Amino acid sequence: MVQTTRRTVLAGMAASGAILAIGVPEVSAATPKRGGTLNVVIQPEPPGLMLGITQNGPTQMVAGNIYESLLKYDFNLKPVPSLAKSWEISDDGKVYTFHLKQGVTWHDGKPFTAADVVFSADVFLRQTNARLRVSLEHVDKIEALDDHTVRFSLKEPFGPFIGVFEGGTMPMVPKHIYEGTDFKTNPMNATPIGTGPFKFDKWEKGSYIHLVRNEHYHVPGQPYLDEVYWQVIPDAASRAVAYETGKVDVLPGGSVENFDVKRLTALKNTSVTGKGWEFFAPLAWMWINNREGPLSDKRFRQAIMYAIDRNFAKDVIWNGLGKVPTGPVSSKTRFYSDDVEKYPYDTAKAKALLKEIGYDGKPIRLLPLPYGETWQRWGEAVKQNLNDAGINVEMVATDVAGWNQKISDWDYDLAFTYLYQYGDPALGVARTYVSTNIAKGSPWNNVEGYKNPKVDELFDKAAVAFPDAERQKLYDEVQKIIVEDVPVAWLLEIEFPTIYRSDVKNLVTTAIGVNDGLGGAWLDR
Amino acid sequence: MKPATKDFWRRFLRNPGALIGLLILAAVVLMAIFAPLIHPQDPWRMVQRPFLPPFAVDGFWFGTDTLGRDIGAGLVYGAQVSLLVGIVSTVVALTIGVTLGALAGYYGGLVDDALMRFTEFFQTIPNFALAIVLVAILQPSTESVIVAIGIVSWPPVARLVRGEFLSLRSREFVQAARVVGQSNLQIIFGQVLPNTLSPIIVMASLMVATAILLESSLSFLGLGDPNTMSWGYMIGAARTVIRQAWWMSVFPGVAILLTVLALNLVGEGLNDALNPRLARKGR
Amino acid sequence: MQKLGFILKRLLKAVAVLFAIVVLNFFLIRAAPGDPAQVMAGEAGAADAKFIEQLREQFGLDKPLHEQLAIYVGDIVTLDLGWSYRQNEPVSKLVFERLPATLLLTGTAFVISIALGLLFGAIAARRVGTLTDTAVTSFALIFYATPLFWVALMAILLFSVVLGWLPAYGMETVGAHLTGLAYAADVAEHLVLPALTLGLFFMAVYARLTRSSMLEVADMDFVKTARAKGVAPGRITRVHVLRNAVLPVITLAGIQAGQLVGGAVLTETVFAWPGIGRLMYDALFQRDYNLLLGIFFVSSAMVLLFNLITDVVYTFIDPRIELK
Repeated sequence: MVQTTRRTVLAGMAASGAILAIGVPEVSAATPKRGGTLNVVIQPEPPGLMLGITQNGPTQMVAGNIYESLLKYDFNLKPVPSLAKSWEISDDGKVYTFHLKQGVTWHDGKPFTAADVVFSADVFLRQTNARLRVSLEHVDKIEALDDHTVRFSLKEPFGPFIGVFEGGTMPMVPKHIYEGTDFKTNPMNATPIGTGPFKFDKWEKGSYIHLVRNEHYHVPGQPYLDEVYWQVIPDAASRAVAYETGKVDVLPGGSVENFDVKRLTALKNTSVTGKGWEFFAPLAWMWINNREGPLSDKRFRQAIMYAIDRNFAKDVIWNGLGKVPTGPVSSKTRFYSDDVEKYPYDTAKAKALLKEIGYDGKPIRLLPLPYGETWQRWGEAVKQNLNDAGINVEMVATDVAGWNQKISDWDYDLAFTYLYQYGDPALGVARTYVSTNIAKGSPWNNVEGYKNPKVDELFDKAAVAFPDAERQKLYDEVQKIIVEDVPVAWLLEIEFPTIYRSDVKNLVTTAIGVNDGLGGAWLDR
Repeated sequence: MKPATKDFWRRFLRNPGALIGLLILAAVVLMAIFAPLIHPQDPWRMVQRPFLPPFAVDGFWFGTDTLGRDIGAGLVYGAQVSLLVGIVSTVVALTIGVTLGALAGYYGGLVDDALMRFTEFFQTIPNFALAIVLVAILQPSTESVIVAIGIVSWPPVARLVRGEFLSLRSREFVQAARVVGQSNLQIIFGQVLPNTLSPIIVMASLMVATAILLESSLSFLGLGDPNTMSWGYMIGAARTVIRQAWWMSVFPGVAILLTVLALNLVGEGLNDALNPRLARKGR
Repeated sequence: MQKLGFILKRLLKAVAVLFAIVVLNFFLIRAAPGDPAQVMAGEAGAADAKFIEQLREQFGLDKPLHEQLAIYVGDIVTLDLGWSYRQNEPVSKLVFERLPATLLLTGTAFVISIALGLLFGAIAARRVGTLTDTAVTSFALIFYATPLFWVALMAILLFSVVLGWLPAYGMETVGAHLTGLAYAADVAEHLVLPALTLGLFFMAVYARLTRSSMLEVADMDFVKTARAKGVAPGRITRVHVLRNAVLPVITLAGIQAGQLVGGAVLTETVFAWPGIGRLMYDALFQRDYNLLLGIFFVSSAMVLLFNLITDVVYTFIDPRIELK
């Protein structure tokens, strides 16, 4: 038993390694050229740029240039230096010590010190960032040992902790501006001050956001670009036109409809990459309401898995980008295991299972994700797959607000969604499956109502187990159980394509992609 | 055939436009009724490879869409949705409009004032915007689309019926009915309403046309019933791929155009035939 | 003096209607499932119940409905349209930022539709029964029967995709940051397709109306008299017929002018025109209550304003109207 597990772990790791090796955007060896303007699409227009307060996608994409955190992560999710030049973790996994870079300044010229780190993590973000707050519960205290050394002491070992020092999760905010103020209404939120490679210059609402080079950036030589314009173009088709006519050089993931991707990537001097999503590892699935009716039967849920042609969706709807998942953990996330039950597209098998249960044709409601054409088409395709297997599916139409409400109130049978995994199962996977996370009112917890004491126990143990090998063993086991139970139907490991002009170099260099700032990007023109 | 009916048909058919309209409309109705025979396949089924241009493969004359669904099947089933929504929502609008218009026109005075303020109020809110809000609140489905269209389209009916009632209520036959002791309701439905039917019928035929346009606009914006294949939905889904697949938006658009055009032609024909006095002007 | 009293009376009525619309919409939008806090929490990607509570409290959505209404109405009376939850800016600023784009589009479309509609209607009426009449009537009928959004798509397909003459989307060239005349020319170029498609639909309406109204007037006694007196036919048409036939057109124009804002939702969607129609659509789906209410308030006010203008214009053109 142990033997098989170990072997498959190795196989799994080899497999994921192989995938990661393919298609890494070539990090140009040529000497970067200085100067130039980069035009990037931003969609939708962010509600604000103060990354510590607003944590949605578009905010991070722009503000990732203004704010930074202690670490960055490479494509294999290995931490690399950012504001911290080095760090140590104690042998018992409970004390994290960071040595900050010397000579880093805020955009207003004030020095960045350990006091800012303590203020950001312990005061500011504890109040404003719900996601970080959860991880900080494992922290006993945060102290500045001197101006350039910070120590995080944990109550117990918490493996995923090394993954929270990412720009969007723990952005460093200036203590001298925010201390003692009401963070949300501080007027300085309109003119954000960070340590990043670009400084905020101007935001013409509904039109563009303009960032300019930070002359005093702490990475020698960087940034190479003079300025970046983030263009707000509220319509997918217009965004495509803007790229074609040369008005913008970069279309970040999700800014054009998938059906347009093929056409755009066929254009001259154009590159496309699915990289830069390894940290978030968005996994799309269909919520299955496990509580009652035929859906409470494991075999019915397995039948759903067999009935869906997941490769069709990947190839036709997502242009072949992404990967069909094997279970709850993305192959890009740490501790992934593929030693699980497989569910190939097999309508006959689905039908057999339904017959075995004696499914009576009771209508099943399906909620697609109201995020545009791609998701609508995907919902229609899955509905057709299920109908073909003999499941009587009715599509329910709703908008974003209605969708949130229905999911939060458990008023659905099947519903599309996708969630980020944040590099570690303890941060982005467990929340969907542990029974302690069943509570009405949120669409991001254990909405399907899956209860399995063994799964709860394994996730709890794995989060605080030490060292990593121990965690891997526990996660292998839990993945096996969950895949067998099919609490939700996993559809796709999404890779949102970033489309860009081929002469834009070093655009995507970390696991957070374009969101991690354009300090290293340069134009070969 | 009664002479009056014969006269009607003679006048109606004398108008070539009306005849063409009637033929097109008949074709659309037949298509809707016999849809399952023409295309036994569910229009949502993915039957061929995606983005198949028209006439490229035998049996797929209209091509396929982004998921490989048959556009031809969509056109046939779309006729059902358009006609159903068009007719039922018109009935809803007529029910509200005729009732309020009749009450206002018959009673006059304060009742009239109050009801007309109410009608004006509804005409002040931008029509299409109100329809969108209503569907969003009720959540998109065939029923909610019908209700929304009905609610935004009744005011002109009310105004028309009110006008007719105002001019008819002092006529001799109404007075006579009163003298005989008929109740107000009896007079409204038994005496006055039948005499206002001609303009109402003409208006109704045009309202079905408008309702079909409204339905297609809502579906185009993604506010249609997600379980029914409608022409507006097809055009909406084609919008983002218009550069790759012109046929996905051209054919359903032509279908809407023909149906609405036919209804308008028939409406004008009815107008000429039912109101001979006005006929010269209308044509 | 009499006229002033009439206008004042109408104004008062308009304000009452406006108030009723505000209250109705206030309840309508809150009847929709979900609220802005949920939508915004959703955009944040991850949030807990506490985060949503905080948002609700911040927006005042935790208060009882009647209290919210009282606050809203109190603000409206002082012409304060409130604060947009999603955009974090005053509603009035957002609305008035977008309004010019819509006015430019609908105004141009309006002028096109009235001018062409009157012209074609008059031509058809002058030559009633001829081939010209049939051609004009059919042309108008076809545009009347075609879905607006489809004409828009076909126009993009033909003029932008196939021929490449005109830009397909937007109001200005993205990222060009032009100024002065170059900017005006750029906007004008972008304006052609949306204004024409929106205008052609209403042109069809006006052409039909003008034609039938002119035929009706031509039958009236005073025209017959003029004809008998030997007044030149062209002069009869211009002076006697058209002048009287234009009255119903004005009525309709008054109604349409306000409604154009609603119709602009579709045009603005297809052409990605950054106007108030599109803003309304987005506000609705983000449950940005205040923004949506603000847009309804402004566009209803415009309808009422245009109705008022129509009424006043009428009193000048047609002395038969009595002032009540």
